[in-house]
Amino acid sequence: MVERFISDPIELPARDGEDHYRADLVFYDVEHSGASYEARVFINAPDADAGTPRDDPRYAGSFCIFGHGGCFGDTGHCDVPSEPRDPFDLRPPHQLVPASKTVVITEAFKRLVAPEDETMTVTVVAFVPGPDANDVLQFDTIRLLTYQ
Amino acid sequence: MPTVPASPAAAATRLRHRRNARTLTAGQLANFRRAITAAQALKDDRGYQAWAGVHGLPLPVHCTHNSPLFLPWHRAYLYFFEKSLQDRVAGVTLPWWNWTMRHDEGLPAAYTAARDPKREPNPLRSSPIHGPGREPGGPSRTRRTPGQEGAPPLPTLPQVKAILELTDFMDFQSQVEDIHNGVHVWVGGTMSSVGTAAYDPIFWAHHTMIDRIWRLWQLRHPGSGPPAALLHRALAPFPMTVRDTLDMEALGYDYAGTTAAAGGTG
Repeated sequence: MVERFISDPIELPARDGEDHYRADLVFYDVEHSGASYEARVFINAPDADAGTPRDDPRYAGSFCIFGHGGCFGDTGHCDVPSEPRDPFDLRPPHQLVPASKTVVITEAFKRLVAPEDETMTVTVVAFVPGPDANDVLQFDTIRLLTYQ
Repeated sequence: MPTVPASPAAAATRLRHRRNARTLTAGQLANFRRAITAAQALKDDRGYQAWAGVHGLPLPVHCTHNSPLFLPWHRAYLYFFEKSLQDRVAGVTLPWWNWTMRHDEGLPAAYTAARDPKREPNPLRSSPIHGPGREPGGPSRTRRTPGQEGAPPLPTLPQVKAILELTDFMDFQSQVEDIHNGVHVWVGGTMSSVGTAAYDPIFWAHHTMIDRIWRLWQLRHPGSGPPAALLHRALAPFPMTVRDTLDMEALGYDYAGTTAAAGGTG
């Protein structure tokens, strides 16, 4: 778990002249078993950190996690099964299966990414309100999706 | 020739309206507080603690988050909780907290006043949390830390309007859930944890607002809704499927900003 994440350069899709009407950043397999928090997302801002305000021009949006606040069962209660589900297992998925979060970044993408740019980076900064530590951020992959 | 007596005409059914928490009449607010107080006094499965516990603690956690069932499950939850309140005080409905407005005020005054006009403790300000509903070492009453440093801002009307424009249900639901998450984080304290959130009386007003936004989306996008593959899914522990949550007329409620009435010729 970290409080700040800077992505590797994400290769930008080729444009065929038509403008994107929407751009999304999708965060896959986001952990949500602990504290609730906000994750602020910046584009091409590797120096963004907890002191970077939302009105920074490189701010693109945020997602929020409503966390479970810890495990309240016995040992193993909050372990998410790692094996693929038996197709005949009709029980609902485990409560702590990691989440996908979509941040719509259309305006920021248009503002911050020039047609000639080949890559962009994403910086994510987590905030847990109050005195608790901010090292709550954990996810597997980011994907940029643009729609024409 | 004998005739079969005609069935009596079906009684005209009246939808009940959920109203804006900031514009309740004094009588509507008093009735709602009376229902919550009565529910909080019940220790059995009709009571407030039992209903709050359905969402999170004590285990099992029934609520669905980060799930395609997020909106339908919470609609069923509100429906059955509201029915239990109507068993206490006939006709009461859940008010909604419009967190897109009055950001200077934050939480509605109805939920923050220490006492009601009769000088009785305000049951909407906080609630007990019974032992099985507490996190280990957690408090015995709900608490809030609204808007503390580091919290996301409350959602704005333009944000909600943009979400209402989305045409795909799953896309809409995903964005609504994120706004919903942010309000839980903004309120803080008991509301910021899945296990305890529903013990705070503001939880119900927050989720009624979420349900209202879904209703507004349904009105703007008739014919759109959850994918067919979800419609038969059960919403445990409630005896409802996703399909059952889609028809507001069948559920018997709708949303209004305010309502007022006067007697007829009677």
